[in-house]
Amino acid sequence: MRLRTLLPGLFVVAMIIAFLEFAVDAGMIRRALLPPPSATAEVLWELLSTGEFLPPLLSTLKLVFAGFFLGSAIGIGLGTAMGVSPAMYRLFEPLVELIRPIPKSALVPPLMLFLGIDDAMKITSVTLVVTFPVLLNTLQGVRGVDRVMLDAARTHGWGLGHTLWHMILPAALPFILAGMRVSLGLAMVLAVLSEMLAGQGGLGFLILDMQRSFQLRQMYAWLVILAVLGLLLNSIFLLAERRALFWQRR
Amino acid sequence: MKAGRITSGFWLVAALLALWELSARLHWVDSPNWPALSQVLAALFHDIASGELPPLIGGTLWRMGAGLAAGSVAGVVVGLAFCLAPVTRMLLAPAVELLRPIPVPAVIPPLVLFLGLDDPMKITVVALTAFFPVLTNTMQGVAAVEAEAIQMGRTFGVGPLRRAAFIVLPATLPYALAGVRVALGLSLVVAVVAEMIAGEAGIGHYLVMMQFAGRAPEMYATIILLSVLGYALNRGFVAVERRAIHWWFALGRQADG
Repeated sequence: MRLRTLLPGLFVVAMIIAFLEFAVDAGMIRRALLPPPSATAEVLWELLSTGEFLPPLLSTLKLVFAGFFLGSAIGIGLGTAMGVSPAMYRLFEPLVELIRPIPKSALVPPLMLFLGIDDAMKITSVTLVVTFPVLLNTLQGVRGVDRVMLDAARTHGWGLGHTLWHMILPAALPFILAGMRVSLGLAMVLAVLSEMLAGQGGLGFLILDMQRSFQLRQMYAWLVILAVLGLLLNSIFLLAERRALFWQRR
Repeated sequence: MKAGRITSGFWLVAALLALWELSARLHWVDSPNWPALSQVLAALFHDIASGELPPLIGGTLWRMGAGLAAGSVAGVVVGLAFCLAPVTRMLLAPAVELLRPIPVPAVIPPLVLFLGLDDPMKITVVALTAFFPVLTNTMQGVAAVEAEAIQMGRTFGVGPLRRAAFIVLPATLPYALAGVRVALGLSLVVAVVAEMIAGEAGIGHYLVMMQFAGRAPEMYATIILLSVLGYALNRGFVAVERRAIHWWFALGRQADG
């Protein structure tokens, strides 16, 4: 969307915030539930200007990135292997189907027992949730490659590596990236959830901790930071996706 | 896997499960957190038979269902409004898009303040989660309604409201349902997540309790139960979906985005 078309909507958002400010001032909403947005903005400014926001943000970002890249690598690797080789498909398909329906967020408690409450546990849980959408999409993309094209590659004497890199993966890329886009959102969810449950640090922990200690301005300020982070990561990925798929006309 | 055909993958799963059982029985992995598979299954049957789990499942499913229904209806209504009355889209889409990227667990703490720890909060969280995929798919669906169908409606003098109800809505249904199917999977997970973070109800709270209590068999049993539940819900929904929009599949189309 261009800025011109965004403007009326952003105006509405501003109106909503202004209304909340007024409603809290007039006592229509209790301050114990929602501090005035201006007070939250003050705290937010303080966090931003002192650089206090950076360590928790980076610690959450680290989990998201580490898990996202690990999970994507596993998903793309295994998905490609299963898509190319029927033997690999037969070997792994039942296992994948068995693990896939397990809600990954429910695995956080047992992971805490085995890996403790440090980054290892959090990154593992993010990796797990990222892997499956990427794997399934990669598989779908690789299996969807035109047989005629594969035969042509063989006719021209292309090796497996060459065919993979120059034909199969580019053809599967739109599917792979669509899976990664879904996984990015899930990675954020699992990072925040495992921070909340492990209770050590990061944006998820801070939001929950500030609520429990009734520091609501801080809670909302951290929530805004998290929301902006989500928005940024998502927008960056969409841009990168469009770049990578430049040949596709939308 | 086709029934009756035993493939290498079946043996891999069987071998891993056997390894699990043996590693616990023979103390290769000597940890109270690593119960044998048979102990986990025994705990699962015991907790179901003793009547401990069924009401917890019921509560979780009720919150999931209520949230899913509310979120789906909202998603379809807002999606139709955004497409059929572009003014609403221009005014409200940015507000919606600002909410979308917030990871769901993070909205739970503020919602606890407004709605408390019980059902209203959890149902709202589920509804919020379900809303977005249904909205996206509904909008895709409206965009995909053949211009021909709309023009034909115009030729026959069908007004805008009846056009929305009798031409656009049915044509959009397969897309909306595909969105609901995505939302269904998320709803169960999010209902459980909300229970894990806040309150003392449902299967999610039970899971965390079992972790704190160090009752590993019960903990794994809960996870197996959740997996089976998620799988069954998805299967059930696909069956209902095929019934509801059989004409769509009869046309050989697919609504997966």
